[in-house]
Amino acid sequence: MSALLSMNEVSGGYGDTQILKAVSIEVAPDEIVVIVGPNGAGKSTAMKAVFGLLNVRSGNIVFDGDDITSWAPNKIVQRGICYVPQVDNIFRDMTIHENLEMGAFLKSGDLSAAFDRVYELFPDLKDRPRTLAGSLSGGQRQMVAMGRALMLDPKLLLLDEPTAGLSPKYMDQIFQICRDVRETGVSIMLVEQHAKQALAFADRGYVLAAGQNRHEGTGEQLLADREVAEMFLGG
Amino acid sequence: MDFMELLNFYLMPGIVLGCIYALGAIGVTLIFSILRYAHLAHGDLATLGAFLALAIVSGFGVSPLAALPVAMIGTAVIAVFIDKAFYNHLRERPKIVTVMASLGIALMIRAVIQVVWGVDSESYVRGIVRPENYWGLRIRDREIYTIAFMIAVVVALQLFLGRSKWGKAMRAMSDNPDLALLSGIDNRKVIILTWLIAGGLCASAGVFLGLNTELKSMMGWHMLLPMFAATILGGVGRVDGAVLGGLIVGVAEELSVLVLPSEYKTATAFVILLLMLLVRPTGLLRGKVL
Repeated sequence: MSALLSMNEVSGGYGDTQILKAVSIEVAPDEIVVIVGPNGAGKSTAMKAVFGLLNVRSGNIVFDGDDITSWAPNKIVQRGICYVPQVDNIFRDMTIHENLEMGAFLKSGDLSAAFDRVYELFPDLKDRPRTLAGSLSGGQRQMVAMGRALMLDPKLLLLDEPTAGLSPKYMDQIFQICRDVRETGVSIMLVEQHAKQALAFADRGYVLAAGQNRHEGTGEQLLADREVAEMFLGG
Repeated sequence: MDFMELLNFYLMPGIVLGCIYALGAIGVTLIFSILRYAHLAHGDLATLGAFLALAIVSGFGVSPLAALPVAMIGTAVIAVFIDKAFYNHLRERPKIVTVMASLGIALMIRAVIQVVWGVDSESYVRGIVRPENYWGLRIRDREIYTIAFMIAVVVALQLFLGRSKWGKAMRAMSDNPDLALLSGIDNRKVIILTWLIAGGLCASAGVFLGLNTELKSMMGWHMLLPMFAATILGGVGRVDGAVLGGLIVGVAEELSVLVLPSEYKTATAFVILLLMLLVRPTGLLRGKVL
Protein backbone atom coordinates (compact mmCIF):
# COMPACT_ATOMS: atom_id res chain seq x y z
CA MET A 1 0.00 0.00 0.00
CA SER A 2 1.45 3.35 -0.99
CA ALA A 3 1.70 5.99 1.71
CA LEU A 4 -0.55 9.04 1.78
CA LEU A 5 2.14 11.06 3.50
CA SER A 6 5.80 10.29 3.67
CA MET A 7 8.43 12.37 5.36
CA ASN A 8 11.79 11.21 4.06
CA GLU A 9 14.81 11.92 6.25
CA VAL A 10 13.68 15.44 7.04
CA SER A 11 16.16 17.69 8.84
CA GLY A 12 15.51 21.24 9.88
CA GLY A 13 14.37 23.65 12.56
CA TYR A 14 13.34 27.20 13.20
CA GLY A 15 15.76 29.73 11.77
CA ASP A 16 19.23 28.25 12.04
CA THR A 17 18.50 25.72 14.78
CA GLN A 18 18.55 22.03 14.00
CA ILE A 19 15.73 20.19 15.75
CA LEU A 20 14.87 17.36 13.39
CA LYS A 21 17.68 15.04 12.29
CA ALA A 22 16.68 12.87 9.36
CA VAL A 23 13.20 12.04 10.63
CA SER A 24 11.14 9.68 8.49
CA ILE A 25 7.44 9.11 9.09
CA GLU A 26 4.77 7.52 6.92
CA VAL A 27 1.02 7.66 7.11
CA ALA A 28 -1.05 5.26 5.00
CA PRO A 29 -4.59 6.04 3.83
CA ASP A 30 -7.19 5.55 6.59
CA GLU A 31 -4.51 5.11 9.20
CA ILE A 32 -4.11 6.66 12.64
CA VAL A 33 -0.45 7.28 13.38
CA VAL A 34 0.73 8.58 16.72
CA ILE A 35 4.07 10.21 17.44
CA VAL A 36 5.26 9.87 21.00
CA GLY A 37 8.49 10.65 22.77
CA PRO A 38 9.95 12.51 25.70
CA ASN A 39 9.71 16.30 25.98
CA GLY A 40 11.82 18.12 23.43
CA ALA A 41 12.01 15.08 21.15
CA GLY A 42 10.77 17.10 18.18
CA LYS A 43 7.29 15.59 17.99
CA SER A 44 5.40 18.81 17.40
CA THR A 45 8.23 20.08 15.24
CA ALA A 46 7.88 17.09 12.95
CA MET A 47 4.20 17.90 12.57
CA LYS A 48 4.90 21.54 11.84
CA ALA A 49 7.42 20.49 9.18
CA VAL A 50 4.60 18.75 7.30
CA PHE A 51 2.58 21.94 7.43
CA GLY A 52 5.30 24.15 6.00
CA LEU A 53 5.95 25.96 9.28
CA LEU A 54 9.54 24.81 9.53
CA ASN A 55 12.77 25.56 7.77
CA VAL A 56 13.40 22.18 6.13
CA ARG A 57 17.07 21.91 5.13
CA SER A 58 17.23 18.42 3.75
CA GLY A 59 14.89 15.57 2.99
CA ASN A 60 11.44 15.92 1.50
CA ILE A 61 7.79 15.53 2.31
CA VAL A 62 5.51 13.86 -0.22
CA PHE A 63 1.76 14.00 0.12
CA ASP A 64 -0.57 12.13 -2.20
CA GLY A 65 1.96 12.20 -5.02
CA ASP A 66 3.04 15.85 -4.62
CA ASP A 67 6.29 17.04 -3.07
CA ILE A 68 4.90 19.58 -0.60
CA THR A 69 8.20 20.40 1.13
CA SER A 70 8.14 24.08 2.21
CA TRP A 71 4.81 24.86 0.57
CA ALA A 72 2.92 27.79 2.10
CA PRO A 73 0.35 26.70 4.70
CA ASN A 74 -2.66 27.98 2.74
CA LYS A 75 -1.56 25.93 -0.27
CA ILE A 76 -1.16 22.85 1.90
CA VAL A 77 -4.66 23.36 3.33
CA GLN A 78 -6.01 23.51 -0.19
CA ARG A 79 -4.17 20.29 -1.08
CA GLY A 80 -5.97 18.40 1.70
CA ILE A 81 -4.05 18.58 4.97
CA CYS A 82 -5.56 20.39 7.94
CA TYR A 83 -3.70 21.12 11.13
CA VAL A 84 -4.93 21.70 14.67
CA PRO A 85 -2.30 23.41 16.81
CA GLN A 86 -1.95 22.50 20.47
CA VAL A 87 -2.77 25.94 21.82
CA ASP A 88 -4.70 28.93 20.47
CA ASN A 89 -6.55 26.63 18.13
CA ILE A 90 -9.91 28.42 18.11
CA PHE A 91 -11.21 31.91 17.35
CA ARG A 92 -12.28 32.87 20.87
CA ASP A 93 -14.39 35.90 20.05
CA MET A 94 -16.30 34.14 17.31
CA THR A 95 -19.21 31.74 17.64
CA ILE A 96 -18.92 27.97 17.22
CA HIS A 97 -20.65 28.28 13.86
CA GLU A 98 -18.31 31.06 12.71
CA ASN A 99 -15.28 29.04 13.79
CA LEU A 100 -16.41 26.20 11.55
CA GLU A 101 -17.19 28.65 8.76
CA MET A 102 -13.63 30.00 8.91
CA GLY A 103 -12.36 26.43 8.62
CA ALA A 104 -14.18 26.24 5.29
CA PHE A 105 -12.90 29.61 4.11
CA LEU A 106 -11.35 28.14 0.97
CA LYS A 107 -14.54 26.35 0.03
CA SER A 108 -17.04 28.25 -2.05
CA GLY A 109 -20.70 27.47 -2.45
CA ASP A 110 -22.97 25.55 -0.13
CA LEU A 111 -21.42 24.59 3.17
CA SER A 112 -24.42 22.82 4.66
CA ALA A 113 -23.09 19.32 3.88
CA ALA A 114 -19.79 20.15 5.60
CA PHE A 115 -21.62 21.62 8.61
CA ASP A 116 -23.85 18.53 8.86
CA ARG A 117 -20.85 16.23 8.76
CA VAL A 118 -18.99 18.10 11.50
CA TYR A 119 -22.06 18.54 13.70
CA GLU A 120 -22.71 14.81 13.36
CA LEU A 121 -19.22 14.06 14.63
CA PHE A 122 -19.57 16.60 17.46
CA PRO A 123 -23.19 16.54 18.64
CA ASP A 124 -22.14 18.63 21.67
CA LEU A 125 -21.61 21.59 19.36
CA LYS A 126 -24.79 21.24 17.39
CA ASP A 127 -27.16 22.53 20.07
CA ARG A 128 -25.58 25.94 20.45
CA PRO A 129 -23.96 27.20 17.26
CA ARG A 130 -24.17 30.83 18.47
CA THR A 131 -22.10 30.31 21.62
CA LEU A 132 -18.75 32.11 21.68
CA ALA A 133 -15.97 29.54 21.35
CA GLY A 134 -13.93 31.28 24.05
CA SER A 135 -16.59 30.55 26.66
CA LEU A 136 -16.43 26.76 26.17
CA SER A 137 -14.66 24.18 28.33
CA GLY A 138 -11.30 22.74 27.29
CA GLY A 139 -12.75 19.59 25.80
CA GLN A 140 -15.39 21.45 23.84
CA ARG A 141 -12.80 23.90 22.55
CA GLN A 142 -10.81 20.95 21.26
CA MET A 143 -13.93 19.77 19.45
CA VAL A 144 -14.40 23.20 17.87
CA ALA A 145 -10.75 23.15 16.84
CA MET A 146 -11.04 19.69 15.26
CA GLY A 147 -14.35 20.61 13.70
CA ARG A 148 -12.82 23.70 12.12
CA ALA A 149 -10.05 21.59 10.61
CA LEU A 150 -12.52 19.02 9.26
CA MET A 151 -14.72 21.54 7.45
CA LEU A 152 -12.55 21.38 4.32
CA ASP A 153 -12.91 17.62 4.14
CA PRO A 154 -9.15 16.99 4.36
CA LYS A 155 -7.45 13.72 3.48
CA LEU A 156 -5.09 14.05 6.42
CA LEU A 157 -5.68 15.63 9.79
CA LEU A 158 -2.74 16.71 11.95
CA LEU A 159 -3.48 16.95 15.67
CA ASP A 160 -0.93 18.41 18.04
CA GLU A 161 -1.59 16.99 21.52
CA PRO A 162 -5.36 17.05 21.27
CA THR A 163 -5.80 15.69 24.80
CA ALA A 164 -3.37 18.02 26.61
CA GLY A 165 -4.96 19.31 29.79
CA LEU A 166 -8.17 17.34 29.32
CA SER A 167 -9.84 15.07 31.87
CA PRO A 168 -9.67 11.30 31.20
CA LYS A 169 -13.34 11.36 30.20
CA TYR A 170 -12.69 13.92 27.45
CA MET A 171 -9.50 12.13 26.46
CA ASP A 172 -11.46 8.95 25.71
CA GLN A 173 -14.04 11.01 23.87
CA ILE A 174 -11.40 12.69 21.68
CA PHE A 175 -9.82 9.31 20.84
CA GLN A 176 -13.26 7.94 19.98
CA ILE A 177 -13.88 10.94 17.73
CA CYS A 178 -10.55 10.26 16.01
CA ARG A 179 -11.76 6.75 15.21
CA ASP A 180 -15.07 8.14 13.92
CA VAL A 181 -13.20 10.64 11.76
CA ARG A 182 -11.04 7.86 10.34
CA GLU A 183 -14.23 5.98 9.42
CA THR A 184 -15.12 8.92 7.15
CA GLY A 185 -11.91 8.37 5.18
CA VAL A 186 -9.57 10.81 6.86
CA SER A 187 -6.09 9.74 7.95
CA ILE A 188 -4.83 11.14 11.22
CA MET A 189 -1.36 11.90 12.45
CA LEU A 190 -1.23 12.99 16.06
CA VAL A 191 1.34 13.93 18.62
CA GLU A 192 0.60 12.68 22.11
CA GLN A 193 1.92 13.18 25.59
CA HIS A 194 -0.27 10.38 26.98
CA ALA A 195 1.81 7.73 25.25
CA LYS A 196 0.25 4.60 26.73
CA GLN A 197 -3.32 5.47 25.93
CA ALA A 198 -2.42 6.86 22.53
CA LEU A 199 -0.40 3.81 21.46
CA ALA A 200 -3.24 1.57 22.60
CA PHE A 201 -5.66 3.27 20.26
CA ALA A 202 -3.48 4.13 17.25
CA ASP A 203 -2.75 1.83 14.32
CA ARG A 204 0.93 2.57 14.32
CA GLY A 205 3.31 4.67 16.31
CA TYR A 206 6.66 6.37 16.05
CA VAL A 207 8.90 7.07 19.01
CA LEU A 208 11.10 10.11 18.52
CA ALA A 209 13.93 11.11 20.82
CA ALA A 210 16.31 14.04 20.45
CA GLY A 211 14.96 14.83 17.01
CA GLN A 212 15.58 11.36 15.60
CA ASN A 213 13.57 8.21 14.85
CA ARG A 214 14.03 5.78 17.73
CA HIS A 215 11.35 3.11 17.29
CA GLU A 216 8.40 2.39 15.11
CA GLY A 217 5.76 -0.27 14.88
CA THR A 218 2.16 -1.04 15.64
CA GLY A 219 0.81 0.30 18.89
CA GLU A 220 0.92 -3.15 20.44
CA GLN A 221 4.51 -3.79 19.38
CA LEU A 222 5.66 -0.51 20.88
CA LEU A 223 3.74 -1.03 24.10
CA ALA A 224 5.37 -4.47 24.44
CA ASP A 225 8.87 -3.19 23.69
CA ARG A 226 10.96 -3.14 26.86
CA GLU A 227 13.23 -0.33 25.71
CA VAL A 228 10.28 1.88 24.83
CA ALA A 229 8.68 1.10 28.17
CA GLU A 230 11.81 2.00 30.08
CA MET A 231 12.37 5.12 28.07
CA PHE A 232 9.25 6.96 29.01
CA LEU A 233 6.27 4.79 29.66
CA GLY A 234 7.25 4.45 33.30
CA GLY A 235 8.36 0.77 33.22
CA MET B 1 -28.57 77.42 32.45
CA ASP B 2 -31.55 75.31 31.44
CA PHE B 3 -31.46 71.95 29.76
CA MET B 4 -32.08 73.20 26.21
CA GLU B 5 -29.15 75.53 26.53
CA LEU B 6 -26.94 72.67 27.73
CA LEU B 7 -28.20 70.52 24.87
CA ASN B 8 -27.82 73.14 22.16
CA PHE B 9 -24.48 74.63 23.11
CA TYR B 10 -22.62 71.73 24.71
CA LEU B 11 -24.17 68.28 24.15
CA MET B 12 -25.05 68.69 20.47
CA PRO B 13 -21.63 70.02 19.40
CA GLY B 14 -20.11 67.27 21.56
CA ILE B 15 -22.12 64.58 19.83
CA VAL B 16 -21.20 65.92 16.38
CA LEU B 17 -17.52 66.05 17.35
CA GLY B 18 -17.89 62.58 18.87
CA CYS B 19 -19.26 61.21 15.58
CA ILE B 20 -16.23 62.62 13.77
CA TYR B 21 -13.85 61.08 16.32
CA ALA B 22 -15.75 57.80 16.02
CA LEU B 23 -15.27 57.68 12.23
CA GLY B 24 -11.53 58.01 12.74
CA ALA B 25 -11.40 55.73 15.78
CA ILE B 26 -13.08 52.86 13.89
CA GLY B 27 -10.11 52.82 11.51
CA VAL B 28 -7.62 53.08 14.36
CA THR B 29 -9.25 50.17 16.15
CA LEU B 30 -9.36 47.99 13.01
CA ILE B 31 -5.69 48.63 12.27
CA PHE B 32 -4.80 48.11 15.93
CA SER B 33 -6.53 44.75 16.10
CA ILE B 34 -5.71 43.34 12.66
CA LEU B 35 -2.25 44.74 11.95
CA ARG B 36 -1.38 45.19 15.62
CA TYR B 37 0.16 48.61 15.67
CA ALA B 38 -0.87 52.17 16.48
CA HIS B 39 -1.20 54.05 13.21
CA LEU B 40 0.03 57.56 13.99
CA ALA B 41 -0.58 58.84 10.46
CA HIS B 42 -4.31 58.38 10.85
CA GLY B 43 -4.95 62.01 11.70
CA ASP B 44 -2.99 63.36 8.76
CA LEU B 45 -4.64 60.85 6.47
CA ALA B 46 -7.93 62.43 7.58
CA THR B 47 -6.54 65.86 6.69
CA LEU B 48 -5.62 64.53 3.27
CA GLY B 49 -9.19 63.28 2.76
CA ALA B 50 -10.56 66.66 3.78
CA PHE B 51 -8.32 68.50 1.31
CA LEU B 52 -9.03 66.03 -1.51
CA ALA B 53 -12.70 66.88 -1.00
CA LEU B 54 -11.79 70.59 -1.05
CA ALA B 55 -10.05 70.13 -4.40
CA ILE B 56 -13.17 68.48 -5.81
CA VAL B 57 -15.48 71.11 -4.30
CA SER B 58 -13.49 74.02 -5.70
CA GLY B 59 -12.53 72.27 -8.94
CA PHE B 60 -15.99 71.07 -9.99
CA GLY B 61 -18.20 73.36 -7.94
CA VAL B 62 -20.04 70.44 -6.29
CA SER B 63 -21.21 70.27 -2.68
CA PRO B 64 -18.90 68.77 -0.04
CA LEU B 65 -21.28 65.86 0.42
CA ALA B 66 -21.02 65.03 -3.29
CA ALA B 67 -17.23 65.21 -3.00
CA LEU B 68 -17.24 62.93 0.07
CA PRO B 69 -17.43 59.53 -1.70
CA VAL B 70 -14.69 60.50 -4.14
CA ALA B 71 -12.44 61.74 -1.32
CA MET B 72 -13.11 58.52 0.60
CA ILE B 73 -12.20 56.30 -2.33
CA GLY B 74 -9.12 58.41 -3.10
CA THR B 75 -7.87 58.27 0.48
CA ALA B 76 -8.62 54.55 0.74
CA VAL B 77 -6.49 53.86 -2.34
CA ILE B 78 -3.70 56.09 -1.00
CA ALA B 79 -3.85 54.21 2.33
CA VAL B 80 -3.39 50.89 0.52
CA PHE B 81 -0.52 52.38 -1.45
CA ILE B 82 1.19 53.66 1.73
CA ASP B 83 0.86 50.20 3.25
CA LYS B 84 2.36 48.52 0.18
CA ALA B 85 5.14 51.08 -0.20
CA PHE B 86 6.17 51.46 3.44
CA TYR B 87 4.52 49.40 6.18
CA ASN B 88 4.52 46.13 4.26
CA HIS B 89 8.31 45.91 4.34
CA LEU B 90 8.32 46.27 8.11
CA ARG B 91 5.72 43.58 8.83
CA GLU B 92 8.19 41.03 10.20
CA ARG B 93 10.00 43.61 12.34
CA PRO B 94 8.97 44.63 15.88
CA LYS B 95 5.74 46.62 15.71
CA ILE B 96 7.31 49.72 17.24
CA VAL B 97 9.29 50.13 14.01
CA THR B 98 6.05 50.47 12.05
CA VAL B 99 4.63 52.87 14.65
CA MET B 100 7.66 55.12 14.19
CA ALA B 101 7.40 54.77 10.41
CA SER B 102 3.77 55.87 10.59
CA LEU B 103 4.89 58.99 12.44
CA GLY B 104 7.18 59.70 9.50
CA ILE B 105 4.32 59.09 7.06
CA ALA B 106 2.22 61.55 9.10
CA LEU B 107 4.86 64.24 8.61
CA MET B 108 5.18 63.41 4.91
CA ILE B 109 1.44 63.64 4.30
CA ARG B 110 1.23 66.93 6.19
CA ALA B 111 4.16 68.39 4.26
CA VAL B 112 2.52 67.46 0.95
CA ILE B 113 -0.73 69.09 2.06
CA GLN B 114 1.10 72.27 3.09
CA VAL B 115 2.96 72.43 -0.20
CA VAL B 116 -0.16 71.89 -2.30
CA TRP B 117 -2.81 73.76 -0.32
CA GLY B 118 -0.76 76.09 1.89
CA VAL B 119 -0.97 76.56 5.63
CA ASP B 120 -3.94 78.94 5.81
CA SER B 121 -7.44 77.99 6.90
CA GLU B 122 -9.82 76.99 4.16
CA SER B 123 -13.51 76.15 4.13
CA TYR B 124 -15.87 74.24 1.82
CA VAL B 125 -18.63 76.82 1.97
CA ARG B 126 -18.14 80.47 2.83
CA GLY B 127 -20.47 82.42 5.09
CA ILE B 128 -22.24 81.68 8.34
CA VAL B 129 -24.87 78.98 8.51
CA ARG B 130 -27.52 79.63 11.12
CA PRO B 131 -28.93 76.55 12.83
CA GLU B 132 -32.51 75.50 12.22
CA ASN B 133 -34.80 75.42 15.20
CA TYR B 134 -36.72 72.19 15.82
CA TRP B 135 -38.94 72.64 18.89
CA GLY B 136 -36.14 74.42 20.68
CA LEU B 137 -33.41 72.07 19.47
CA ARG B 138 -31.02 74.13 17.39
CA ILE B 139 -29.17 72.06 14.83
CA ARG B 140 -27.56 72.71 11.45
CA ASP B 141 -28.06 70.51 8.38
CA ARG B 142 -24.36 69.63 8.29
CA GLU B 143 -24.63 68.39 11.87
CA ILE B 144 -27.56 66.16 10.95
CA TYR B 145 -25.56 64.81 7.98
CA THR B 146 -22.57 64.07 10.23
CA ILE B 147 -24.65 62.13 12.75
CA ALA B 148 -26.67 60.30 10.08
CA PHE B 149 -23.54 59.34 8.14
CA MET B 150 -21.84 57.96 11.25
CA ILE B 151 -24.91 55.87 12.13
CA ALA B 152 -25.19 54.56 8.57
CA VAL B 153 -21.49 53.66 8.47
CA VAL B 154 -21.60 51.81 11.78
CA VAL B 155 -24.69 49.80 10.83
CA ALA B 156 -23.17 48.90 7.45
CA LEU B 157 -19.82 47.97 8.98
CA GLN B 158 -21.38 45.84 11.72
CA LEU B 159 -23.42 43.98 9.10
CA PHE B 160 -20.30 43.49 6.98
CA LEU B 161 -18.20 42.20 9.89
CA GLY B 162 -20.98 40.03 11.26
CA ARG B 163 -22.47 38.55 8.10
CA SER B 164 -20.09 38.58 5.16
CA LYS B 165 -17.33 36.08 4.51
CA TRP B 166 -14.57 38.68 4.25
CA GLY B 167 -15.89 40.60 7.24
CA LYS B 168 -15.66 37.44 9.30
CA ALA B 169 -12.17 36.84 7.91
CA MET B 170 -11.19 40.28 9.23
CA ARG B 171 -12.52 39.34 12.66
CA ALA B 172 -10.75 35.98 12.48
CA MET B 173 -7.44 37.66 11.72
CA SER B 174 -7.96 40.07 14.58
CA ASP B 175 -8.84 37.17 16.88
CA ASN B 176 -6.05 34.70 16.01
CA PRO B 177 -3.79 35.55 13.06
CA ASP B 178 -1.88 32.25 13.09
CA LEU B 179 -5.04 30.19 13.01
CA ALA B 180 -6.48 32.43 10.30
CA LEU B 181 -3.44 31.58 8.18
CA LEU B 182 -3.81 27.85 8.95
CA SER B 183 -7.45 28.10 7.85
CA GLY B 184 -6.30 29.32 4.45
CA ILE B 185 -7.41 32.94 4.92
CA ASP B 186 -5.33 35.14 2.64
CA ASN B 187 -3.91 37.69 5.09
CA ARG B 188 -2.73 40.03 2.32
CA LYS B 189 -6.28 40.47 1.07
CA VAL B 190 -7.56 41.04 4.60
CA ILE B 191 -4.89 43.71 5.11
CA ILE B 192 -5.85 45.50 1.87
CA LEU B 193 -9.51 45.38 2.89
CA THR B 194 -8.65 46.79 6.32
CA TRP B 195 -6.79 49.71 4.76
CA LEU B 196 -9.59 50.43 2.30
CA ILE B 197 -12.15 50.62 5.11
CA ALA B 198 -9.92 52.50 7.56
CA GLY B 199 -8.70 54.93 4.87
CA GLY B 200 -12.20 55.67 3.59
CA LEU B 201 -13.65 56.26 7.05
CA CYS B 202 -10.66 58.33 8.02
CA ALA B 203 -11.28 60.60 5.02
CA SER B 204 -14.93 60.97 6.01
CA ALA B 205 -13.82 62.06 9.50
CA GLY B 206 -11.65 64.74 7.90
CA VAL B 207 -14.39 65.92 5.53
CA PHE B 208 -16.97 66.19 8.33
CA LEU B 209 -14.49 67.96 10.59
CA GLY B 210 -13.81 70.41 7.75
CA LEU B 211 -17.52 70.81 7.11
CA ASN B 212 -18.32 71.55 10.75
CA THR B 213 -15.26 73.70 11.48
CA GLU B 214 -12.61 74.65 8.94
CA LEU B 215 -9.80 72.98 7.03
CA LYS B 216 -6.28 73.39 8.36
CA SER B 217 -3.16 71.40 7.64
CA MET B 218 -2.92 70.48 11.34
CA MET B 219 -6.59 69.54 11.77
CA GLY B 220 -6.04 65.79 11.58
CA TRP B 221 -2.96 65.78 13.76
CA HIS B 222 -4.96 67.50 16.50
CA MET B 223 -7.60 64.81 16.13
CA LEU B 224 -5.11 61.96 16.65
CA LEU B 225 -5.13 61.96 20.45
CA PRO B 226 -8.93 62.06 20.79
CA MET B 227 -9.19 59.23 18.25
CA PHE B 228 -6.77 57.05 20.22
CA ALA B 229 -8.48 57.98 23.48
CA ALA B 230 -11.80 56.91 21.94
CA THR B 231 -10.32 53.64 20.70
CA ILE B 232 -8.86 52.67 24.06
CA LEU B 233 -11.86 53.95 26.00
CA GLY B 234 -14.23 51.75 24.02
CA GLY B 235 -11.98 48.70 23.92
CA VAL B 236 -9.43 47.99 21.20
CA GLY B 237 -10.75 45.92 18.32
CA ARG B 238 -14.40 46.82 18.82
CA VAL B 239 -16.26 48.99 16.32
CA ASP B 240 -19.10 49.65 18.78
CA GLY B 241 -16.46 50.55 21.37
CA ALA B 242 -14.86 53.08 19.02
CA VAL B 243 -18.25 54.75 18.53
CA LEU B 244 -19.04 54.81 22.24
CA GLY B 245 -15.54 56.07 23.03
CA GLY B 246 -15.72 58.72 20.31
CA LEU B 247 -19.02 60.05 21.60
CA ILE B 248 -17.82 60.13 25.22
CA VAL B 249 -14.58 61.93 24.31
CA GLY B 250 -16.42 64.41 22.06
CA VAL B 251 -19.07 65.24 24.66
CA ALA B 252 -16.49 65.36 27.48
CA GLU B 253 -14.37 67.85 25.51
CA GLU B 254 -17.33 70.17 24.98
CA LEU B 255 -18.57 69.82 28.57
CA SER B 256 -15.09 70.49 29.99
CA VAL B 257 -15.54 74.11 28.88
CA LEU B 258 -18.12 74.46 31.63
CA VAL B 259 -15.52 73.94 34.34
CA LEU B 260 -12.16 74.57 32.66
CA PRO B 261 -10.77 77.34 30.47
CA SER B 262 -11.33 76.35 26.83
CA GLU B 263 -7.56 76.07 26.24
CA TYR B 264 -7.74 72.84 28.22
CA LYS B 265 -10.41 71.32 25.98
CA THR B 266 -7.96 69.04 24.17
CA ALA B 267 -6.40 67.92 27.44
CA THR B 268 -9.71 66.25 28.30
CA ALA B 269 -9.07 63.43 25.84
CA PHE B 270 -5.64 62.92 27.35
CA VAL B 271 -7.05 62.70 30.88
CA ILE B 272 -9.67 60.17 29.74
CA LEU B 273 -6.98 58.11 28.02
CA LEU B 274 -4.75 58.07 31.12
CA LEU B 275 -7.58 57.25 33.51
CA MET B 276 -8.81 54.44 31.30
CA LEU B 277 -5.34 52.89 30.96
CA LEU B 278 -4.95 53.00 34.74
CA VAL B 279 -8.38 51.76 35.74
CA ARG B 280 -9.57 49.50 32.94
CA PRO B 281 -7.04 48.97 30.15
CA THR B 282 -9.38 46.64 28.24
CA GLY B 283 -11.81 49.51 27.68
CA LEU B 284 -15.50 49.84 28.48
CA LEU B 285 -16.54 47.05 26.13
CA ARG B 286 -13.70 44.65 26.99
CA GLY B 287 -11.41 44.86 23.99
CA LYS B 288 -7.98 43.33 23.54
CA VAL B 289 -5.26 43.71 26.14
CA LEU B 290 -2.30 45.31 24.45
